[in-house]
Amino acid sequence: MEVKLEKRYELGVPAQHAWAILSDLESVASCMPGASLGEKTGDNAFKGSVKVKVGPATAQFGGEVEILSMDAANHSLILKGKGADKGGSSASMELEASIEEADGQSVLVGLATVVVNGKFAQFGGRMMVQVSDVILKQFVDNFIGKAQALGEAPARDGEESSDKPAVQTASEPANELNGLAIFWALIKSWLGGLFGKKSAG
Amino acid sequence: MNAPVKTPEERKADLQGMGDSRLRKEDARFIQGKGQYCDDIKLPGMLHMDIVRSPVAHGRIKRINKEEALAIPGVHAVLTADDLKPLNLHWMPTLAGDVAAVLADEKVHFQMQEVAIVIADDRYIAADAIEAVEVEYEELPVVIDPYAALEPDAPVLREDLQGKTEGAHGPRDHHNHIFTWEAGDKTAADAAFDHAPVTVSQHMHYPRVHPCPLETCGCVASFDPIKGELTTWMTSQAPHVVRTVVSMLSGVPESKVRIISPDIGGGFGNKVGIYPGYVCAIVASIVLGRPVKWSEDRVENISSTAFARDYHMDGHLAATEDGKILGLKVDVIADHGAFDACADPTKFPAGLFHICSGSYDIPAAHCSVKGVYTNKAPGGVAYRCSFRVTEAVYLIERMVDVLAQKLNMDKAEIRRKNFIRKDQFPYNSAFGFEYDSGDYHTALEKVLDAVDYKALRAEQEQKRADPNCPTLMGIGLVTFTEVVGAGPSKTCDILGVGMFDSCEIRIHPTGSAIARMGTITQGQGHQTTYAQIIASELGIPSEVIQVEEGDTSTAPYGLGTYGSRSTPVAGAAIAMAARKIHAKAKKIAAHLLEVSEADLDWEVDRFKVRGNDEQFKTMADVAFAAYQQPPEGLEPGLEAVHYYDPPNFTYPFGIYLCVVDIDKGTGESSIRRFYALDDCGTRINPMIIDGQIHGGLTEGFAVAMGQQMPFDEQGNLLGNTLMDYFLPTAVETPTWETDYTVTPSPHHPIGAKGVAESPHVGSIPTFTSAVVDAFAHLGVTHIDMPHTSYRIWKKLKEEGVQL
Repeated sequence: MEVKLEKRYELGVPAQHAWAILSDLESVASCMPGASLGEKTGDNAFKGSVKVKVGPATAQFGGEVEILSMDAANHSLILKGKGADKGGSSASMELEASIEEADGQSVLVGLATVVVNGKFAQFGGRMMVQVSDVILKQFVDNFIGKAQALGEAPARDGEESSDKPAVQTASEPANELNGLAIFWALIKSWLGGLFGKKSAG
Repeated sequence: MNAPVKTPEERKADLQGMGDSRLRKEDARFIQGKGQYCDDIKLPGMLHMDIVRSPVAHGRIKRINKEEALAIPGVHAVLTADDLKPLNLHWMPTLAGDVAAVLADEKVHFQMQEVAIVIADDRYIAADAIEAVEVEYEELPVVIDPYAALEPDAPVLREDLQGKTEGAHGPRDHHNHIFTWEAGDKTAADAAFDHAPVTVSQHMHYPRVHPCPLETCGCVASFDPIKGELTTWMTSQAPHVVRTVVSMLSGVPESKVRIISPDIGGGFGNKVGIYPGYVCAIVASIVLGRPVKWSEDRVENISSTAFARDYHMDGHLAATEDGKILGLKVDVIADHGAFDACADPTKFPAGLFHICSGSYDIPAAHCSVKGVYTNKAPGGVAYRCSFRVTEAVYLIERMVDVLAQKLNMDKAEIRRKNFIRKDQFPYNSAFGFEYDSGDYHTALEKVLDAVDYKALRAEQEQKRADPNCPTLMGIGLVTFTEVVGAGPSKTCDILGVGMFDSCEIRIHPTGSAIARMGTITQGQGHQTTYAQIIASELGIPSEVIQVEEGDTSTAPYGLGTYGSRSTPVAGAAIAMAARKIHAKAKKIAAHLLEVSEADLDWEVDRFKVRGNDEQFKTMADVAFAAYQQPPEGLEPGLEAVHYYDPPNFTYPFGIYLCVVDIDKGTGESSIRRFYALDDCGTRINPMIIDGQIHGGLTEGFAVAMGQQMPFDEQGNLLGNTLMDYFLPTAVETPTWETDYTVTPSPHHPIGAKGVAESPHVGSIPTFTSAVVDAFAHLGVTHIDMPHTSYRIWKKLKEEGVQL
């Protein structure tokens, strides 16, 4: 099952801070709920994993992520990730992400093609867009947090060199993707839509 | 004191023979939860099997790592194709002359294909262990659309067949082509079209569906290493054929293979085939020397065991301007999935699809069916029908509607005009079938009168004229003929074994009896109805007749239960075996009464000396004498075996009418009325017939209104749970009205034709006919199934229907 996602998120942080996070794979990974990076397997490739917890069940997707191209001048990159869990699902994603500047504001622009096979596609297929929206929202919140921290860090500690992003100071996101939280967020957005529609009609 | 003397009528009623709505003998145990299904069987030392399945639809297996799974306490073995290779069991022959992978050999061809098995102490450990088996796949391009599969540059799906230009059913002209099968006379059909004043064409897809029986497939294999005997309890609709195949595959002599089909929770064609799970459990039991149980879950059942249909059909009719059909042409692309595992008689790769001239006198006809490989699960079984008859009936009934629309004729009128007349039977169809008997005109009028067809049409006209009417009203009409009871062994065989069936009857000294059969009930009520045939033939009460089926060590060889063949074939075998007993009983009675056989008359349950009502011997008297003092020259005992090879198929028919109301705003449909008249010849148990018809109509409703197996571009099956796959409950199921006529089969010993599949075959096009009829005034000639509310809603929007 293939889903294309096109997203724009206003970040409210300076573009170079946003790019500093985006261009650092480890920082990006740490924004992704449940994701972690493992050993480096190539110049721009890492092993990685994503853990999803739904109630008592935990699924762990293991795989590889690789940066296919990075364009610092235009603040854009293309990366590809793929992985599989042991329960009979596999997923791959090709992501084009960039930081655009508009009216002095930075905007994170993402275009992702996600292909899911196996049980996740069979059971979760129709929820994929909604679930992705929720996950991406969490991702962007973490991302903004990190980028803001990057802006604040030098002010708090003038000695620190600014060429190394102070990602450690940002609040660490939860280290697993919590299905219950996703479920709750989905219910809230669905209810919102329901009432929104009613009042509009 | 003497008991009151009963009249012959009273004695006949006591027998509960043919025609009696005797309660089902099976139900006492089923409604108490006392059925014994495969999964109820627990043997000492039994191990459990689970299957590692492919998440991708097409891929190369790069690596399988069993280490982690084998390290789990309680895991006994992990087997892959490499382990089966030395036994030459990594591939197996299919019923259709192809081969299918038992465990994926280097490549996977469909999602959920069997890749490895795990044998463990219990089901839970096995389920954990399959997740610990690491399989690495290299994904390959997936082909889901059978038309795309036939493109010149389509990916090669079956590398094992590469370069093979000859298949089991003739030449192959493309690497994804399985066979092309034709019937009828192409030249004559073309000629009919060349000169016809009117022609119509319609493309239609009969979607892939799954029989989805309540009980999934499974088995318990138990190999005794000391005796060298293999006993397997199995969810099989054809245990004897399985025994033959298992013996051929395993090398265990057939005399040491015992297949037992215990109680079966529905089959509907799904339990005809031989699945990798069965083979693997048997191999595992032989290798480990312990019993091994395999039970599918629902997702596995829907995803990997035999589907039905998936026919892409182009129908063409040629006719005169007043609606007399002159010719029929049909072209089909048949999506068979990854392996050709259809369950059809060997000579018919498209089953009995050539019954597609239906109930009509069509002088020239031709059909061509092209089988194609795709990355989907194999199967192509008859889902509650006789070998593709459902597809055939759907095609011709849709086409007749399309023609009627083109000519602006009424659906009933065009059928009247083209029916095979009563005086034309036995009728030879353009496809070569000899229809045994029928009276379509009488049946049609009976239905039209019962529903007041004219009033329904008037109501429809009125509603169409009223822009404020919130609903669209549709009237569906189908007048179908089935071909069932496969079949004459001169044309029908499975793996070379003729499609006869068998019965053995033993009458015990005290007058009770046991009958053993080559068929196997899956809910049809054989234990009830078979006894009724014997009761009527031999004058023994049904109540004291035991019917046993499904154990190959005790039952005579038979081809099993599917394709509505139990009554037409096994039912005939019973009558014939009973008649052999009757003939011997008459000799014994003559001996006891000291008269000649010619002086005896048979009356319900006794032989009477003609002209002397006081002088008689009942069948019970005769039975005792058969063991005590048989006449000189006659061997003791009273039993018979009969193998019945039918001279022809039987041709049950029916007239179905459906009224549907479609909500213009939501697309929801409501089946207001469904009237089903069936003619299955002689009726053995009217109550069971009604039950069969209710069940078949409900399954037909499911197929027409909701069942589908959608695949995405990557070959993911997006509907393999009961959350997605529509099984109607009492909530959704409409009310059924049933009716009947009786036109016995002239060649069947008791005139019975078979009934269980007619309601499924007949109802599906009736629903479509009704839904299309609701849109007919807008020029719509066909809408593909399933007619879900969403799909109908989309059609409403497409046609600009305003609320």
